[in-house]
Formats: sequence, structure tokens, C-alpha cells
Amino acid sequence: MEQALREICGSRVTTDPFELAPYAKDVAYVPAILVHLLTNPLPKAVVQPISAEEISSLIKWAKQGKIPVTVRGGGSTAYFNCIPMKSGLVIDTNRLQGFSEIELDQGNQKKMVWVKAGMTWKDLDDGLRQQGCAVCSSPSSAPSATIGGWVSMGGLGIGSVPYGSVHDQIMAIRGVTATGEIVELSRPDKSPARNQGSEQSDLQFNDLMGTEGTRGIITEIKLLVRDVPEKEEHLLAIFNNATDTGVMMSWLGGEHFMSLYNVHFSSPEFMMSLQKAGYAHEIPPGKYSLEIDLEGKRDEVDQAVAHIRKQVKVLGGTLLPDGVGAEEWADRFKSLRLEQTLPSLLAAEMTLPVRNFAAFYERLSKLGQKTNTLCVTYAHLVSPDMALVMVLYPSDELNLIRYIVDLSFTSNLYKLGHRLGGKPYVIGFWNTPYLGKIYDKGERERRRQRKQAADPYAMLNPGKGYNPPNIILNSYVFGFAMIMIGLFRPMVLKILKGGKGQ
Amino acid sequence: MKTIEELREQIAKTSYICGSCGSCRSVCPVYREIGWESSAPRRKIALAKEVFLKKKEKQATGQYAQRLQECTLCGKCAEICAAGIKTRELWLNLREDLRARGMEHQNLTQMALQVKTTHNISTFPNENRLDWVDDLDEVEVEVSKAGSEVAYFVGCVSSFYPMSAGISQSIVSLLDRANVNYTVLGSEEWCCGFPLLASGNSQQVLELAKHNVEKVRALGVKTLITGCASCYHTWTHEYPTILGEDLGFEVLHATQYLAGLIRTKQLEAGNIDETVTYHDPCDLGRNSGIYDEPRELLQAMEGVNFVEMPHRREMADCCGGGGNLAAVDKELSQAIAVKRVREAVATGATILTSACQQCVQTLQMAARQEKLPLEVLDVTELLWRSLEE
Ligand SMILES: Cc1cc2nc3c(=O)[nH]c(=O)nc-3n(C[C@H](O)[C@H](O)[C@H](O)COP(=O)(O)OP(=O)(O)OC[C@H]3O[C@@H](n4cnc5c(N)ncnc54)[C@H](O)[C@@H]3O)c2cc1C
Ligand code: SF4
Ligand code: SF4
Repeated sequence: MEQALREICGSRVTTDPFELAPYAKDVAYVPAILVHLLTNPLPKAVVQPISAEEISSLIKWAKQGKIPVTVRGGGSTAYFNCIPMKSGLVIDTNRLQGFSEIELDQGNQKKMVWVKAGMTWKDLDDGLRQQGCAVCSSPSSAPSATIGGWVSMGGLGIGSVPYGSVHDQIMAIRGVTATGEIVELSRPDKSPARNQGSEQSDLQFNDLMGTEGTRGIITEIKLLVRDVPEKEEHLLAIFNNATDTGVMMSWLGGEHFMSLYNVHFSSPEFMMSLQKAGYAHEIPPGKYSLEIDLEGKRDEVDQAVAHIRKQVKVLGGTLLPDGVGAEEWADRFKSLRLEQTLPSLLAAEMTLPVRNFAAFYERLSKLGQKTNTLCVTYAHLVSPDMALVMVLYPSDELNLIRYIVDLSFTSNLYKLGHRLGGKPYVIGFWNTPYLGKIYDKGERERRRQRKQAADPYAMLNPGKGYNPPNIILNSYVFGFAMIMIGLFRPMVLKILKGGKGQ
Repeated sequence: MKTIEELREQIAKTSYICGSCGSCRSVCPVYREIGWESSAPRRKIALAKEVFLKKKEKQATGQYAQRLQECTLCGKCAEICAAGIKTRELWLNLREDLRARGMEHQNLTQMALQVKTTHNISTFPNENRLDWVDDLDEVEVEVSKAGSEVAYFVGCVSSFYPMSAGISQSIVSLLDRANVNYTVLGSEEWCCGFPLLASGNSQQVLELAKHNVEKVRALGVKTLITGCASCYHTWTHEYPTILGEDLGFEVLHATQYLAGLIRTKQLEAGNIDETVTYHDPCDLGRNSGIYDEPRELLQAMEGVNFVEMPHRREMADCCGGGGNLAAVDKELSQAIAVKRVREAVATGATILTSACQQCVQTLQMAARQEKLPLEVLDVTELLWRSLEE
């Protein structure tokens, strides 16, 4: 195997167990007992191609030997999205680096660049800023998330309010199909004539948007970029309760300010945990905070600030002194500082209609009290009417039983969100039981058909994104198991005295 | 000083905080060269977690030890860490543990023996510390001069390596030009201990710290200046902790002191018609917070067209020469240096400056190896040249 791979990638191949081991892990801790019960995550080899041609050869080679292929970018996801289920070959994209000169589309006067899939969003943004441009939006994991990784996920994050999902900012995509063809696909609504679709695997542009490396491999994208804004303002507003905060978020979405770039909510529990670690001291305890980031033309920003000031007052909130918001903004990639006081966090992330945000938060607080669980919440506004909500709660990976019973609480969180129109944001492997909460039956079938058409030999990232690959993850079986485990949770927490959410 | 058990407990606690997000990965100069996940800071922490928190001692393999020592201690991972982990401190603690396990790289063991014997990192006797003075015609450098206001701690590299002698010569020439009442320690200057700290050998540093501090105190100076960024960091950040007490005198980097002289017009900069850029030494910039004074000196020189590199200040890239990396893997260290000099050339600069003898040496070698049209100098060398020309 190694020999064959070396012929394609030279020394950029490893089969050394020491080197392979990290590729069986992502951001989340999952007890080994569960991992090995359900998956075979250790790859046989990892390769680091530097071109589409190499990837094409790798895919053709893997196809011959029926070897599953999993693509990995920054490995900053948490649901085994980039971890092999059935061992096989991992393609690490981190040597696909760099971006082209900025092009100006004469037709619509928009600027864009071709950027390689392995570059991180922060590196791209830093590089563009040297030339007076910037990315339109980025994930809050921008220092680690790669271009290909975020495009293959939901694509929502900082800057999504004005610019939408990253999927909306891609004009064309270069990649390799599941049969090893190199293709360039243009955005269907832009210029279908330029499309050189794939003949053998029927890969289409949308097959590469948010499909977790299951239908093709992205090597490069043509991305819209923006000019560095004339002015930035970062406000930090605090409110006394979730209702006013929710109203403010809806208002911000509804006002359609040209310069509204990002809105970030932090719960009092989130702030309290940060403060315990020595951060965020400017924020009074017990308050609900909204960081409101404005970017754009000077007068647009100034006007929006004036309106926002008034509305914060109307809702009984307070704007903290200038500088506090700027500091929060500077720390936007540092949400994990929370782990200094709460290591070993578990999480549920979902999209939720903003109008239901306050109701969600209130019910969450009750659920937390009832189950003796400290729920720490933060959220981004990702469209005028949708928020991406992250709920974290402490566990202890050093205690297997506690950790397993705690996992069941995630299921309660998704249920709570679902009742209010929420959907799990990510599928990957571990969320396949919740597929029914994300897509209706028709959409699930359409997705299955597209997968079949694009990846006829089911080689790419098997086990992710579609029907649960294992009976244990079947939604009924899994749901029942979660309910049963959940029943034991209060007792286990009581015995361990660790469930006080301290 | 902490016991090894206390250090191990601290490592365990710190490793538990890491969320494995990987923010530290693409900024790490070592990962960027090696490319495999095993070389990324997050993976090293994950292994530390296995060894120290989960007590899986078998994970402490030779490959683990190698990866821990393939690190320049540049601190860029700490700067970006999404969880606010002081990773540089963690790497030092892990190296202390490696040493306690007998897993330290043999070149580092050798270096520790060397320092024990000669009190410096070279093979020369410490009596040769002032050989660089011989080439100075107009400046007289007095050793342990009573009544001096300032002591200049030269550092091993510019004391013993002819390639770096220009730095110490420039610094004393500038002090002389500004009529500063200064002195040097001569053979009473011992290695500051930074290379030992970086190899997890804080025990041996205690003796060096005690000696150096005692000798400077005996001079009764108000200020100690260092030309080396790592010496500066050791004097200001490590000695007070190691000794558990205030030093009793001010410690400044030479660029800080000289910037002060220029501000008070005790010294005037000259003229240099060149495009110049500046490399922030990790131990002076990110790890000590000094960014402005070296730039102030460069901008004080008439004719200098100062240009910045894209990676600068807090996010400056490492020169590759830190953390004893060259002793562990010389090629890796050079590869990192080559990237940095290329970045400098891309700015259009003809002179790359820094404020650290180690950085200057490493970058000079890389520029030569790549045959780049780039001269590498210490800021103090350029400042002195501006006055000479
Ligand atoms: C602190 C933190 C903050 C986060 N914030 C956000 C956020 O704001 N928004 C958000 O959406 N997510 C967020 N995430 C989750 C994650 O970081 C992002 O989804 C990120 O974009 C994943 O990119 P990656 O390069 O790490 O992908 P990986 O984790 O390596 O892979 C993700 C998926 O993409 C596939 N893939 C990767 N590269 C390619 C390619 N070139 N071609 C085809 N498939 C590919 C993989 O197979 C896998 O299925 C956050 C995570 C953390 C830890
Ligand atoms: S200190 Fe520098 S070289 Fe060492 S792990 Fe951190 S970023 Fe990498
Ligand atoms: S950035 Fe910090 S939290 Fe994230 S992986 Fe690196 S060390 Fe861990």
C-alpha cells in the first residue's frame, strides 16, 4: 500500500502508527468503548496531496482496492465528520495552500479569488487584507477551519447575516469526483455554460455544498471577497433577561441595517465561567450580553449605531463603554477559554428561529434546573431570522459512566430545540440518529439519490451524513437508548456528586 | 521552584483544558514544515493528556519525546490559543519531565555539560568572553568598573561567535558615543541559562542565576542591559521566579535603553539610505511584549525606508533558532529560517534587522544559504553603522 501511495505522493505518505493515531481523533472526546463498538477510526494510511492530479490518482487507486477515502481539513469538527468509520485512506488537505490574484468581475463589479481547499479561513483573510480585501464571512474557528472544511459543513458563522452561508459566496469550484475525474463546476444560477460536469459520477455544484466530503473532494473554490470596510464598530449591549435580549436580536435582524455584520449572544452562565477564568470582567454578572458588530461605509455604520443605541435603551438594556465590544471582537476566536473553568464540555449545536430564541432559552434554564445541569449558551445571528445556538454543559471524561450518561442530555437539548423549530446544525457520524429532525422524508430521499449518483461505489466518507450506518444509531433504537440512559443520569450524578453544574 | 510532581500535576491540569480545536496548528512554524498532525501543538497536548492525566505512561515514547523537542518555544501557539492556554510554559514543563525521565535529546545533555564546564555554550574558556573587544580601536571596555550606572550583559553568542561580534561591538560603541557610564562583567558573566531552561534543566539554571545576579548586584548599577532577546527574557521573567525575589535593579533590552537615549537626545541616530524591515524576536516581542522600541530606533535613522513584514509583532513568525531546535534538528530550524528571510525579501527590504543575537545568526545563515540579496543585521549594528557612515 505504502509503495503505491508513494508513487503518487512521494514522501507525503505515512503508515507509521504514531503518525496515524491523531487522524482517528477530532475535537470531541468520545469514550473508546463507544468508538470501537461503532467504528474503525484508525486509517491505514494518510496522504498529503499537493494537486488535484494527485488526488485523482489516489481516488482511482482507492477505487481499485475498494478502499474508503476520508478527507480531512483542519479536523475542527466534533461529530467524527472527518474521521474514518472503516479505516482506509485519509486525505489531509493541508498542503493545498494559497490563493490567486483578486479578480474583478466586470459584469457585477464583484471581487473574487480562487483559493485552495487546505488554507485556513484566517490565513486567507490575513492574506487578503494585505491587498485591501477581506473574506465576507468566516467560522468562529477561522484559525483552524479550512476552506474545504467549512464549505463541506453548514457554512454559517461570523458575517453570515449580510453575506449568507459561505455556500452563497462560491462562484465556482474545482474538485475531484468519487471516480477520480478532475472537474470544474460553476454555480448553476451563474453561468451553466461554463460547467464541465462530471460524466462518470454525475457530480454537480451543489453536491459539494455542506455534504461533508461524501460526494466529492474540493480542491479549490472561487470565492467572493469584499473590500476592507471603511469603518468598524463593536458594541456590547447587556440586558436583564432573555426576553429583551431575544427581542433585540429579532429587531436587529428585522431592521436590515446595511452595516450589521455580526451579532453574538453570551448567556450569563457563559460570562460567569469566563470571569472565573479571569476574563470579561467589564461585564456585570447575571446579564445577557449581545456583541453587535457593524462594518461598512462610515455613514451607514454611524446611523446604525445611533438607532441601536436608542433601541437598547427602549429595551431597558445598557451599552457598555467603547472598547469593551472591541475587546470581545478581538477575542472572537477564543470561545474555548471557558474550558479553563469547565473542562470536558459536551455540546449541542442547532439553528433556531430567532423569534423563538427567548422561549428556547427560558425552557433551557428550566431543563437545566430540573436536571441539575449547568447550561452555558452562546449564539450567533446567522440570518435576519435565524440563530446558530450552541449549548454546552460540563461533564468529566475521566469518569466513563458519568460521561456516557451525560451524553444523553444532548438528546434532550435537540428535542427542546426541535419543538421550537430548531435543527441540529451538523450531522457527521454521531448525529445520524437525528437526521429526521434535520430533513423531511422527501429531502432525505433526494439526498440519498444524489449520494448514489455522485459516489456510486460509496467510497467517500462512508457512514456520514445519510441514514445511520449502524442499527444502534437508528433513530428509534438510539432515541430509546438515550431515554433509558437519561433515566439513570440523575442517580449517577447524585452518586458522583458531580452534577451540580459547579 | 516546583517539584517534578507539582510540574506533572500542572501539566495534567493544563492538558485537560485543551479543546483540540487546532487554532494553534497553522501558526506553528514546526507543524508548517513537518505537516503531520503529530507535530501540531494540539497533538502534543493530547499525548500529554494521555500520559499525565490518564496515566498512560506507555504513550511517552521516543517519538513523543522527539516531537516535544521539535519546538522553537516561539509562543505563537499561546498567542492564538482558543482556550487561553499558556502553551509555552507547558512545553517547558514537559521538557522538565522529559529530562527527569532521561529522554532528553543527547545534544542537549552535551550542551548542559558544556555550560557546566565553561559557564558558556561554546567550547571556549569563559576567560575569552571579551575577545570581541580586541577589534575595537576607539572604545575602551572596562570590566566590573566601580561606580558604573549601567552593566551590559553581552550574552554567549555575541561573546564567542565572531559572526555575531558586531552586535556587542556596536552596543558598546553606542554607549560610548552617548557617554554612558557602563561596564561589562567579563569572565564573571556566565551563560544566562536560557538554553538550559529550554531543555528542561531549570535545576542547573539556579546556580547560574545566583552567580549572575550576585555579580551584577555587587556592581551597584541601576540598570542591566542585554543585547540578546532570550537573555532579556530570562533575566526579566525567569530569574525573579527561580530566585523567588526581586533583582533589585532594572533590566532593559539594549533597544529599550538606546531608544531612551535617543528620546532624551543623549544619542542621535545617523543616516542610512536603505529599505529595512524588522523581525520581532519571539523572546523580545511575543514573550516579553517589546515591539515598539526597536522600530523606534529604525525610524530614528534618516533615510531608512521602513517596511513591515506581513507576520509581525504578536503574530511574527519565528526565525527557527529558538528552543534549542537547531541542536535537535538543524534542517528543520533552517527550513523555518528560510521561510522568514523569504518573507523579508518579499517586502522589498535589502536589510533585515532583528534585536537578538540568535535570530540574527540564524537568519544570516538562511539568507546566505539561499543566496538572497538581503543583509541581516541587529538593529544596534545598523544604528551604529548610521553613525559611522
Ligand atoms: C471553537 C470552534 C468554533 C467553531 N465555529 C464554527 C462556526 O462558527 N461555524 C461553523 O460552521 N462551524 C464552526 N465550528 C466547527 C468547524 O470548525 C467548522 O465546521 C469548520 O469549517 C470545519 O473545517 P475543517 O477544515 O476543520 O474541517 P474538518 O473537520 O477537517 O472536516 C469537516 C468535514 O468536511 C469534509 N472536508 C474537509 N475538507 C474537504 C475537502 N477539501 N473536500 C471535501 N470535503 C472536505 C470532511 O470530510 C468532513 O466531513 C467550530 C468549531 C470550533 C472548535
Ligand atoms: S511554541 Fe512555537 S514551535 Fe513550539 S509548538 Fe508553539 S507554535 Fe509550535
Ligand atoms: S488552540 Fe489551544 S485549545 Fe485549541 S488545540 Fe491548540 S492548545 Fe488546544
